[in-house]
Amino acid sequence: MSDNRALRRAHVLANHILQSTPPSSNLSLTREVCLQYSPPELNESYGFDVKEMRKLLDGHNVVDRDWIYGLMMQSNLFNRKERGGKIFVSPDYNQTMEQQREITMKRIWYLLENGVFKGWLTETGPEAELRKLALLEVCGIYDHSVSIKVGVHFFLWGNAVKFFGTKRHHEKWLKNTEDYVVKGCFAMTELGHGSNVRGIETVTTYDTRAEEFVINTPCESAQKYWIGGAANHATHTIVFSQLHINGTNQGVHAFIAQIRDQDGNICPNIRIADCGHKIGLNGVDNGRIWFDNLRIPRENLLNAVADVSSDGKYVSSIKDPDQRFGAFMAPLTSGRVTIASSAIYSAKVGLAIAIRYSLSRRAFSVTANGPEVLLLDYPSHQRRLLPLLAKTYAMSFAANELKMIYVKRTPETNKAIHVVSSGFKAVLTWHNMHTLQECREAVGGQGVKTENLVGQLKGEFDVQTTFEGDNNVLMQQVSKALFAEYVSCKKRNKPFKGLGLEHMNSPRPVLPTQLTSSTLRCSQFQTNVFCLRERDLLERFTSEVAQLQGRGESREFSFLLSHQLAEDLGKAFTEKAILQTILDAEAKRPAGSVKDVLGLVRSMYALISLEEDPSLLRYGYLSQDNVGDVRREVSKLCGELRPHALALVTSFGIPDAFLSPIAFNWVEANAWSSV
Amino acid sequence: MASQSQVLVEVKSSVRILTLNRPKQLNALCFNMISRLLQLFLAYEKDPSVKLVILKGQGRAFCAGGDVPPVVNNIVQGKWRLGADFFRDQYTLNYVMATYSKPQVSILNGIVMGAGAGVSIHGRFRIATENTVFAMPETALGLFPDVGASYFLSRLPGYFGEYVGLTGARLDGAEMLACGLATHFVLSSSLDALEADLCKVGTSDPSFVSTILDAYTHHPYLKQKSAYYRLDVIDRCFSRRTVEEIISALEREATQEPDDWILTTIRALKKSSPSSLKISLRSIREGRLQGVGQCLIREYRMVCHVMKGDLSKDLVEGCRAILIDKDRNPKWKPKRLEDMKDNMVDQYFERVEEEERWEDLKLSPRNNLRASKIAAKL
Repeated sequence: MSDNRALRRAHVLANHILQSTPPSSNLSLTREVCLQYSPPELNESYGFDVKEMRKLLDGHNVVDRDWIYGLMMQSNLFNRKERGGKIFVSPDYNQTMEQQREITMKRIWYLLENGVFKGWLTETGPEAELRKLALLEVCGIYDHSVSIKVGVHFFLWGNAVKFFGTKRHHEKWLKNTEDYVVKGCFAMTELGHGSNVRGIETVTTYDTRAEEFVINTPCESAQKYWIGGAANHATHTIVFSQLHINGTNQGVHAFIAQIRDQDGNICPNIRIADCGHKIGLNGVDNGRIWFDNLRIPRENLLNAVADVSSDGKYVSSIKDPDQRFGAFMAPLTSGRVTIASSAIYSAKVGLAIAIRYSLSRRAFSVTANGPEVLLLDYPSHQRRLLPLLAKTYAMSFAANELKMIYVKRTPETNKAIHVVSSGFKAVLTWHNMHTLQECREAVGGQGVKTENLVGQLKGEFDVQTTFEGDNNVLMQQVSKALFAEYVSCKKRNKPFKGLGLEHMNSPRPVLPTQLTSSTLRCSQFQTNVFCLRERDLLERFTSEVAQLQGRGESREFSFLLSHQLAEDLGKAFTEKAILQTILDAEAKRPAGSVKDVLGLVRSMYALISLEEDPSLLRYGYLSQDNVGDVRREVSKLCGELRPHALALVTSFGIPDAFLSPIAFNWVEANAWSSV
Repeated sequence: MASQSQVLVEVKSSVRILTLNRPKQLNALCFNMISRLLQLFLAYEKDPSVKLVILKGQGRAFCAGGDVPPVVNNIVQGKWRLGADFFRDQYTLNYVMATYSKPQVSILNGIVMGAGAGVSIHGRFRIATENTVFAMPETALGLFPDVGASYFLSRLPGYFGEYVGLTGARLDGAEMLACGLATHFVLSSSLDALEADLCKVGTSDPSFVSTILDAYTHHPYLKQKSAYYRLDVIDRCFSRRTVEEIISALEREATQEPDDWILTTIRALKKSSPSSLKISLRSIREGRLQGVGQCLIREYRMVCHVMKGDLSKDLVEGCRAILIDKDRNPKWKPKRLEDMKDNMVDQYFERVEEEERWEDLKLSPRNNLRASKIAAKL
């Protein structure tokens, strides 16, 4: 007996050490009792043309997108790997920070050599801009680090040179930037000042004799912080700094400074330190910069808005410093546009993975000895994922609309772009984070495996909620802008025009007291609720601020005190703007299955937004009964969207290789033979 | 009856050996052969006594392509829908092979072109020999690499698939093995012995078949001037976004270091149908992101547009110049690449509208888990 046990133990130990194959045949379980992977495509059918839907969702440059997807799949630089008989490309997030930074740079060189960035700064017009945005989006679907590193170089550094600079800067830098002869970064944020750019402490003075600017970091809180590209690769930077001329502070201005030579050595009078390891985005080399009496030529002031003459006179076509600052910041909108759209693509990746998994993974039987139930056949699982899917659709149209108004921008649309991009950036990035968290939980433990992506993406995309403007600050700006619009229209007794506020010129919509299913799904009803909410909150907000001002508080302080209404209003405005974009997309479609399913998706978006917003009850736009009706309808819509779930995520157009193993044959991907 | 003698069937215990038997036409696949193959493959899949299917060709070709002249005849007589039936069955056969639940061994001892690749490359094992000549020559014929080529070409290393698919370059057995189109290389003198050994296999487990094949495997050297050694140049040039950019990238390479291979490559592209080149490139690029079924459905749309000829009649012209009049001087329309606009290319990928009873290719679901294990992993 004890001999036997010792022998068996020895076998067990030997097996651990030798990793031998399991005992064969006679011990193996029969196929019938083993779980098998069944691809969702076998059991689900497409109720509409997914290619057509993909074209709608991507909106533009579908062929260019497919081209760059292919570029990444065909190169060994993108960490191709096989799992469960399929090829995947996704970064190795287990690499060290330094390795991730180097491979990210190599990937960018590869894309450069293949002509991906051709014309990104030297070509102009909506077509060139849209192509650039599409290619950047696909970079971000592969890896957020790639798109951020590319984005900093082209959209921050490159666009700053293009928009803040003049001919002399364009000639010297744009082509070189496009070819990566110079690698740019963008030093705006400081340790002590982030979203509040006006408060930055870096100081630049002018030396008339040498005709040079002198840049200084006067204190530790003035060190430039989070500067993407600064830690390892960038050769040049845009420096944002207060400009002191003859003792007068002319406000924030942008300069070009070289920080490294061509061999990568840090220049004199510059100190650079690393920001260190981050919760994600470790392929981006964020650094900190101190300037110690750094001298740069007078020509390096980006002088589109203001200039300093060689004898040290400050000249600007815009006299008001506030307006001057606004003119400076206007081109930065591009950052918020790209962030908003990349957030939605990240949500798409998460949902495509989680929904595909929920169409192939089963858990628990409803009847004794019955088959286990597919995750997505649980109403509760539908309720978790399908409303997020509908929101992602609506926001996908919103992101497309934002891109369209951005690429067709004129000086007149600047204000609208600022407001809409602020609201969309905040709401879309928050939505991405909520979606990823829900997707990660919806796939259970598999979600914590890095290679399955949904969990990892949370860390990779988290920063989106605070960079390029903190989401909360942006939402307050939306409310403030609406306030200003309201006050100005009332004061001048003029009708509302722009920002989608025209509905304020009509009488207050009256909602029916009884909400039937068909009422709830009616686009007019949905529009009415969203308008009513926006209008009422705007009126409440302005009157509350006026009241506070009446009590002697300053306007700014009154805004701060009204933060709860400001938050509700910002959300109401943004959600209504999003609803409008999906309504428009739907209206443009000819009758047919695509239009029908868009109608379902739009109703789900509208109703889930209502269900989730307590302000409807708080301010009595809907009764307690109404809210119950909305809730029931959401549940009904879940059931109606369920058959379309696979087709809806397939329409995202994200190639299989850019999803993850649990989206496909997760049994084979985990088989012993693959160990 | 004729169709049966065009596909010879040998029963060797649990193995079926199918021989394409139209040697004078280099085993070009006609409608009857395709129907017969489809019928046989489906029957063998259901028959538990069949474990393995071997496919080979009579004479000096495995299969030189599809039997295109009758299709062109149909088109000329305004009956392209008959041609559509031909392609529908052929693509269905390709799909069945790509998702087959039993191993298929194709012995490629000779010419393998176009449709010949379609009935072999999708299968699990492809045996090349010193006699193998492989090519996808469709762009020179006014067609595009179909039969699921947008699936298997796009899965070759780097941009080798674009190179092979656009230029119609010929590969020998060693090159096929190197790039993955072939899974094994066996000297033709060993084929009889190999076949005899394969006939003893009593299981559909591909690892057993593999073991037998491994015993006969020969490791050929790539010829010194093999295009496969030029993979870096191929990647640099054929990764470009458009056909025009591919050609100018090749021309840039040629000015830096002119050699025969680059000049031949450029010449091949310039001789091919501009519309074919553009739709082929798009097809391979889309195919890279799609499953084999989606690829075939798309290719079916494309081939219907090609036959319908609303945008270009290059297939008829190409066949005239290459197969019928043999003057090798096709007059392509559109004549120049830049005349073939993106929106024209787009139309080849749309459904064929305003055509009565036209439907997308319908592939019945292949409810078979073993298929994913046995079908080729390209």
